[in-house]
Amino acid sequence: MTTTPQRPRRPRLRLAPYLFLAPFLAAFAVFWVWPIAYSFFLSFVNTRVRPWRFDPGFNWGRLINDSAFWDAFGNTMLILAVQVPLMLALAVALAMAFDSDLLRLKGFYRFAFFAPLVLGAVPYSAVFRLIFNADFGVLNYGLATLGLPTVRWLFESTPALVTIMIALTWRWTGYNAIILLSGLQSIPRALYEAARIDGASAWQQFWNITLPLLRPVLLFTFVLSTIGTLQLFTEPWLITNTGPGGATETLVTYLYKQGFRSFNFGYASAIAYAVAITAALFSILQIRLVGGRDNG
Amino acid sequence: MHRILGITLAALALSFAAAQTLTVWVWDINKPALESTIESFQAMHPGVEVIVEDIGNQNAYDRGLAGCAAGGFGMPDVYLVENNEAEVFWAQFPDCFLDLRELGASDLLPLFPAFKWAELTAGEAIHAIPYDSGPTAIFYRRDLYEQAGIDVNAIETWADFIAAGQAMNAATDGAVKMGTVAKGADDEWFRMLANQADCFYFDDDASQVTVAQSGCVLALETLKDLYDADVLAVGGWVEQIQLIQNSAAASAFFGSWYGGVIQAEAPDQSGLWGVYLTPALEPGGVRASNLGGSALAIPASTAHPELAYDFVVNALADEENQLRILFDYGLTPSLLSLLDSPALDQGVEFFGGQPVWSLILGTLGDVPAVAGTAFFQEAREVMIGVVNTYLDGGFASAQAALDQAARQISQATGLPIAD
Repeated sequence: MTTTPQRPRRPRLRLAPYLFLAPFLAAFAVFWVWPIAYSFFLSFVNTRVRPWRFDPGFNWGRLINDSAFWDAFGNTMLILAVQVPLMLALAVALAMAFDSDLLRLKGFYRFAFFAPLVLGAVPYSAVFRLIFNADFGVLNYGLATLGLPTVRWLFESTPALVTIMIALTWRWTGYNAIILLSGLQSIPRALYEAARIDGASAWQQFWNITLPLLRPVLLFTFVLSTIGTLQLFTEPWLITNTGPGGATETLVTYLYKQGFRSFNFGYASAIAYAVAITAALFSILQIRLVGGRDNG
Repeated sequence: MHRILGITLAALALSFAAAQTLTVWVWDINKPALESTIESFQAMHPGVEVIVEDIGNQNAYDRGLAGCAAGGFGMPDVYLVENNEAEVFWAQFPDCFLDLRELGASDLLPLFPAFKWAELTAGEAIHAIPYDSGPTAIFYRRDLYEQAGIDVNAIETWADFIAAGQAMNAATDGAVKMGTVAKGADDEWFRMLANQADCFYFDDDASQVTVAQSGCVLALETLKDLYDADVLAVGGWVEQIQLIQNSAAASAFFGSWYGGVIQAEAPDQSGLWGVYLTPALEPGGVRASNLGGSALAIPASTAHPELAYDFVVNALADEENQLRILFDYGLTPSLLSLLDSPALDQGVEFFGGQPVWSLILGTLGDVPAVAGTAFFQEAREVMIGVVNTYLDGGFASAQAALDQAARQISQATGLPIAD
């Protein structure tokens, strides 16, 4: 057998694939890469003066000393620390209920709990404003009927924040439960059978089988919810209008106000990068803490 | 051949017509109000078509900023701008709107009050012509006041207003309040009261933060007195309307345009309402202030500056047009010559036949002038928070609250705090 020496094939530059990719790449460059790069540059520009002036410390210096920014940061972190764990715990319970052999009409319930996400944000927010209305809302009516004190939900600081958390939980629990359900269904039934034969209680099965095997999916929902909370805009904007007095101001509502109400794009860009950096740090931290053992 | 000639002629006619169309961007009630002036405008300029588009208040601001940022692309021929927001345009895009002095607007200066011009001029340049104003007043329910035994003639100061509110609380077991404060949602009450005391976030040339000065301190203390006396309900724009519709608010303190809002939202209460002047901060003090109002500007990108200017002047500086806009649409004119017009003494049915417009317009000359500022939104955001915290007892005194506000506003704007 004669063998012709096979030269390593030089990859020929083929034009066609790039032509097919070109429309996407062009759109990606214009609508993603360019704004991301330009806003990074803008965060070092004083846009308060005309013409704009390059002044690297101007926006970042203000960010460090801006109490309104740190209030918004604190509100966002509080929602993250309280609402996200509660919601995910609820979502795990809900997912297990969806998965239960005892439940009939599974399809209906799965859709019903997913439905809040299908609803438009504006009508849902308007309805929440009505429910939480202090004088004529159904929630205070219910509290009063039960003999409980009523609350000015939208016009006092802590109740307003609680309102936002309730709204977020209502909207996103079902969504997370559906994702977690897919995780539950990937756990082999044989593990539970073996555990039962060994005499493990339901509680032991949950702690030693369900939760550990659900960890990757749980981590995924945790990271998604964290990023979602850091970008929280709709609910505080439409339900509480970031009030009362900034009590429900979040990082992104503050960013929007700086950018599009005050027309201060330099400062808005600095806030945007602060949010992005925070989100990246959180994601890394969560993956290290929760997911590290599997991957490492 | 004839057909081709016909088409050519039609095309010519079309392009001629297109060259003679004015587009006007407005919001809400301003559309029918300005449309009612078109006929008299066309009497001067036959064949010129005017299209008034209602694009919504927030949308007008957003699209205006976007249009100016794009060098005037897509802007209309005439643009309605809210006074509060006007300075953002003049500061960010000084070339986006015409300097109307080139079209003769200097002649209009004496026709309108100084406080209106303050927000519409930048240096010497005149960027817009005053449209409606928002002189404040108290709109009140005659029947509810009567039931509580309150005489509006006895309310001369805010202290009197509080006393009346306590009578209202006693008569209705606290079910009916004297007004609605948007605590934590807006600082309108503070701004209206501060304007009475000739105080604002910034000084007259918008170069220093003056919010911690004595007039503003008095305004904030007065608001706290009102709030602590439990005579005000708490609620934003929508909640205030709900309270009015449910007869749970016996009055409303706002700019004059709010009369039109009440008429539109509570038509079944026609005849039950009345108006009295804003109470003074101190005995014998000013019983006038202003909140809101708007103006018409002409984008520099227009192809028909003269026509646009004639439209604006005809709509805003013509007594007949302004009177109709007032009586039919409830928009308070800024035209000073109307103050002497006997037509103002007409009673208004919704307000129980009271000649409310002569009462409200009579205060126009007393309104302290406030300079425009490109930093209105920043300062307002700070004040909404500070007023809210102060009402909740979070500061030792009004002075301490406003010192804190001044520091925050100064930091956000880079302007120094006045001594």
